Amino acid sequence: MLMSAMHFRFAALLAAGLVMAPGIASAQQPAVPDVAKQAERSKQSPNLRGVPISPIAAGADKLPISRFKLPPGFSVEVWQAGIAGARTMLLGPKGTMFVGTQGLGRVYAIVTRDGKHEVKTIAHGLNMPNGLAMKDGALIVVANKNVYRFDNIEDNLDNPKPVDISEKFNLPGDRSHGWRYVAFGPDGKLYIPVGAPCNICEPNYNTHSHIRRYDADGANMEIIAKGVRNTVGFDWHPVTGELWFTDNGRDWAGNEGPEDEFNRLPKGKEGAFFGFPYCHANGIADPDIKRPDACKDVILPAVTTGPHSASLGVHWYTGDMFPAEYKNAAFIARRGSWNRDRKFGSDLAVVRVAGNGMGKATLTPFMTGLLDEQRNEHMVRLVLPYQMPDGSLLVSDEQNGAIYRITYKSQRAAVTQH
Amino acid sequence: MSFGSRIRNALGASAPTVLLVAGMAAAQAQSAASPERLELCATCHGPGGNSKTEKIPSLAGQPEFFLLNSLVLIREGVRKVEPMEPFMKDMKDDEIQALATYFAAQKPERTDEPIDRAQAQRGAQLADPRHCTSCHKPDLSGEQTAPRLAGQRADYILDALRAYRDNTRLGGDPAMSSAAQGLSDADIVALANYAASK
Ligand code: HEC
Ligand code: HEC
Repeated sequence: MLMSAMHFRFAALLAAGLVMAPGIASAQQPAVPDVAKQAERSKQSPNLRGVPISPIAAGADKLPISRFKLPPGFSVEVWQAGIAGARTMLLGPKGTMFVGTQGLGRVYAIVTRDGKHEVKTIAHGLNMPNGLAMKDGALIVVANKNVYRFDNIEDNLDNPKPVDISEKFNLPGDRSHGWRYVAFGPDGKLYIPVGAPCNICEPNYNTHSHIRRYDADGANMEIIAKGVRNTVGFDWHPVTGELWFTDNGRDWAGNEGPEDEFNRLPKGKEGAFFGFPYCHANGIADPDIKRPDACKDVILPAVTTGPHSASLGVHWYTGDMFPAEYKNAAFIARRGSWNRDRKFGSDLAVVRVAGNGMGKATLTPFMTGLLDEQRNEHMVRLVLPYQMPDGSLLVSDEQNGAIYRITYKSQRAAVTQH
Repeated sequence: MSFGSRIRNALGASAPTVLLVAGMAAAQAQSAASPERLELCATCHGPGGNSKTEKIPSLAGQPEFFLLNSLVLIREGVRKVEPMEPFMKDMKDDEIQALATYFAAQKPERTDEPIDRAQAQRGAQLADPRHCTSCHKPDLSGEQTAPRLAGQRADYILDALRAYRDNTRLGGDPAMSSAAQGLSDADIVALANYAASK
């Protein structure tokens, strides 16, 4: 059927150089980047490229967990292996852990019965279903330009019925930076970022390069932060209620940066400008796209998070299990670089903010040992830290298709136990 | 897309079958591809994975990771290849790995389509600033996630480039969609001639 229906005379058309029916040109058409020239200027190997993510999960016995390093008193275990492409996590009120993926297109549900996990695939074939949010028992899955609502999902895991509510959200369908982290804010609104459709270009801020929010049903869209290149993680500060988000710096402008960002959107500054494409990191003007006073009226990051580190998921820790110094600190998963000759990032970092979330922010690596320095290879690609009700911290590893669990026991207690 | 509960290899994948670590060292396939299955593939993709059929890609000599990833995405229904759906739907990871290993090891032949030299030359000029060779290798033989283009069917390359540009080919590395942004249909014809001619 396919072949007979499509018996065009392609060879002849190609030879004659004829043009096929006009395609639907994409709305955004960034200028063609000359990677070779950019790489020469930035003194980077032009052959740098994304690190492949296996579509098949690693076996539990193959996870490099014994190489992870944590501060004293903390330990890490495998919470669940065998979930290929695991990225976003979201715990339902009835205890189901939902897990979203990117390229693999699956959404998983992990239920715990008699202390054992059962993993179900509740949706597959989706276009980068990285965005998961939950309201009134309904799971919302944001997959590029599509938005699905699964009502009463935790009672229907074996028969999930999506309602397609994409139309109201009217999201762009670019694949470039087209995977979205989403979340409901304390205001009950659904926050959805739309990245720049390019590495570096002048986007239309009405459609791209921003964070927007909607009512749960897709009404009343508002843009609340502009000039954002690509955020794949945000969370609201537990004391101030302000939105903090990561943003990934541009590629092909050097091994040392511009660094990724952890930004704070101050209360009352909704709609503020964060600099892309003119001003990066802590005030670096772009070498390609120039304007006078590149960093004028730009909110600079609260803290930069390292060159090409791919700072993704964020979670403010509010639990009681970890020592007091972690209370109201943010954990950030740094997935690790690709556009850098020596690989960088690949850890779980912690950001502490002075003055109850209003003062200076400082970043410290927390869980390391994820990068094989000798082979210049990431062994693990972390995406999101996620606090459990008992105060332990889960973190997803997309590369190996696993979720790890970090716990803390004061050393004194550990010693007396032995 | 589809929805429905499938416990399948969500857990099954953790059985000691295949492991691909960051280095993508060729995983050891535990089972070889079955002759019946290979015969089925050959009906469309040609003997040894060298296609003589319009718009059907050659598989011979493609990077193993690309084949593995494509087959998984086709099975999942992320990449829609309707004629393959009936037999891909329930294919296990092991068998997919075995098929990827097999076709990666086959000797690629070049397409028997006529190539327009002038178009190919124009294509080379377009390819240069877009740096197709940085991912697909200087001889376009492909590597890891990036498929072989050299000798591939031009009519297939043409379709594939249009699909990337229009964001309709899903699942693979979005870097390829970025590389295809802004290409006109005429550019795509030139690039197809160029890539197939290598
Ligand atoms: C009925 C015809 C048919 C059969 C049988 C078939 N395929 Fe395909 N296959 C196709 C078509 C058509 C495409 C290209 C679809 C497109 O345009 O993206 C394709 C694409 C592919 C691709 C993606 C290649 C690329 O370069 O992107 C792989 C891998 C593949 N097939 C493997 C197999 C294997 C392995 C088998 C045997 C188990 C098989 N196919 C059997 C029709 C078939
Ligand atoms: C940043 C790396 C990168 C660059 C640059 C790039 N490609 Fe690709 N290309 C890829 C990857 C990765 C895939 C596989 C994506 C997938 O699995 O769908 C791909 C797939 C393709 C395919 C599909 C072939 C098949 O067998 O299915 C074609 C055709 C192609 N590229 C042509 C080109 C051309 C022409 C250029 C230059 C204009 C180019 N690519 C530039 C990474 C790249």
